[in-house]
Amino acid sequence: MSERARVWLWRVVILVVLLAAWEWLTGIKAISRTPGLYWIDPFFISRPSLILKRFAYLASDQVRLSIWQMALSTVQSTLWGFVVGVSTGFAAGLILGRNERLAGIFDPYIVAFNSLPRIALVPLITMIFGFGLLAKIVLAWTIVFFIVFFNTFQGARSVDADLIHSARFLGGTDRQIMRTVIVPSALAWTFASLTPSISFALIGVVVGEFLGGESGGGLGYLIIQSLGTLNAADMMVALIALGVIGIVMALGIRQIEKRLLRWRPEYRDRT
Amino acid sequence: MKRSRIVLSSLTKTFRDGGREVAAVQDASFEVLDGEFVAIVGPSGCGKSTILNMIGGLVAPTGGVVEIDGVRVAASAPAHVGYVFQKDTVFPWRTVARNIAVGLEYRGVARAEQERRVREAIGLAGLGGFEDAFPATLSGGMRQRVALMRTLVVEPQILLMDEPFGALDTHTKINLHAELLALWQARRQTVVFVTHDLSEAITLADRIVVMTRRPGRVKLIHTVKLPRPRDVIALRESPAYAAEYGAIWHVLGEEFAERAS
Repeated sequence: MSERARVWLWRVVILVVLLAAWEWLTGIKAISRTPGLYWIDPFFISRPSLILKRFAYLASDQVRLSIWQMALSTVQSTLWGFVVGVSTGFAAGLILGRNERLAGIFDPYIVAFNSLPRIALVPLITMIFGFGLLAKIVLAWTIVFFIVFFNTFQGARSVDADLIHSARFLGGTDRQIMRTVIVPSALAWTFASLTPSISFALIGVVVGEFLGGESGGGLGYLIIQSLGTLNAADMMVALIALGVIGIVMALGIRQIEKRLLRWRPEYRDRT
Repeated sequence: MKRSRIVLSSLTKTFRDGGREVAAVQDASFEVLDGEFVAIVGPSGCGKSTILNMIGGLVAPTGGVVEIDGVRVAASAPAHVGYVFQKDTVFPWRTVARNIAVGLEYRGVARAEQERRVREAIGLAGLGGFEDAFPATLSGGMRQRVALMRTLVVEPQILLMDEPFGALDTHTKINLHAELLALWQARRQTVVFVTHDLSEAITLADRIVVMTRRPGRVKLIHTVKLPRPRDVIALRESPAYAAEYGAIWHVLGEEFAERAS
């Protein structure tokens, strides 16, 4: 058996064991046969069978807002927040990274804004942008922007001066050097920030959805709604969906990274 | 009499080290003629790379003037000047072919012409089969070949080389000497070549500028009387080579000896 298959086998075994234990432990009743008295109460952590049932219900067309619509809304806002955050963070990082004076001027503002807990901004952002998609995107953006910005900034500052000199001797103009030396060199740093960025974008979006209400939709809304109805199964459905979304997005980024950074030895010969 | 292309007059460079002024180069004056291959040798820290950087406009002199073709070198890279660095400056994110093409790309040379010249350069450097390889997969010698061809492909008239083979093993170095001489013989660029390796300087150069240890002054300008074209291997065993080596080593040795005392 190959190493890869062995790893996968263990992953599956762990999953099955955990699910089975969960299902079994939440089914054992304590002391009497009175309903509601369990060793481990499924009221709080639900049960796999129950979660599946709720998932089937939420995925059906019996509900007003299906799980698919909610997942789509979450994914959409996350991707938008991510794309806008990465592109603005990258541009700002490049500009400030290559301009000593601008970097000096903006430094205290950037540090101050970045140390602000983003969750504290949620009410304000909701006030300004309403309860819809836009507020969630803005929230994700405020987080992603800084992560990407700081990394790109470092990357743009640490470009090897001799690479720039040699490009200049080869006849490169400032613009050409930016495109052929500084951007590719900084990209390696930027990419290191993308995986955490997508996770944080998702956090921003879900937090936005906690407050956003039904018009914003999304899995965060499902979680908050389930808190209102004390429905652990629905919460679990939302959490599992978020987990799946997180994995898929991280894998997608890794693919892009591998493609764009294929010149780096650590990305070669590895699949 | 050939015209002089590079003229250094009383070139001086001092650096600030803490509160102290440290002279790296002091009052260096010499000329490089058109099509001439000049090597600068000296003990490490003698400011020979600083001189090259001042010729290339990378470092501004504290005193004195560098002129290329009668024009004073300012803070930018003069046109028609190519520079090969000691450090690996091949772009790691570009393949061999795209690295060699980069200067042509900057100059807006048409795609087909780019490809033709890159193919020719790859053939000359013996890099065939590695066109699409990324630099990380190449040996140090091959990367330096790419750097050299990348510089030569834009056909600079003046070539500044800062210990380009300094990090390579002896065998690779000698191969590259032969290749560099063949390429130079064909085009006859004006070359200033900095090295701490005396045998390298004798093998390649028409004239050798010997520097003193810090602060670097010109100690001696020696004309190498070895005929061209030179066979880099056979050369080393010839008595003429030994005589050249002895003559300069005697002077250079004083500099190393002073350092030890």
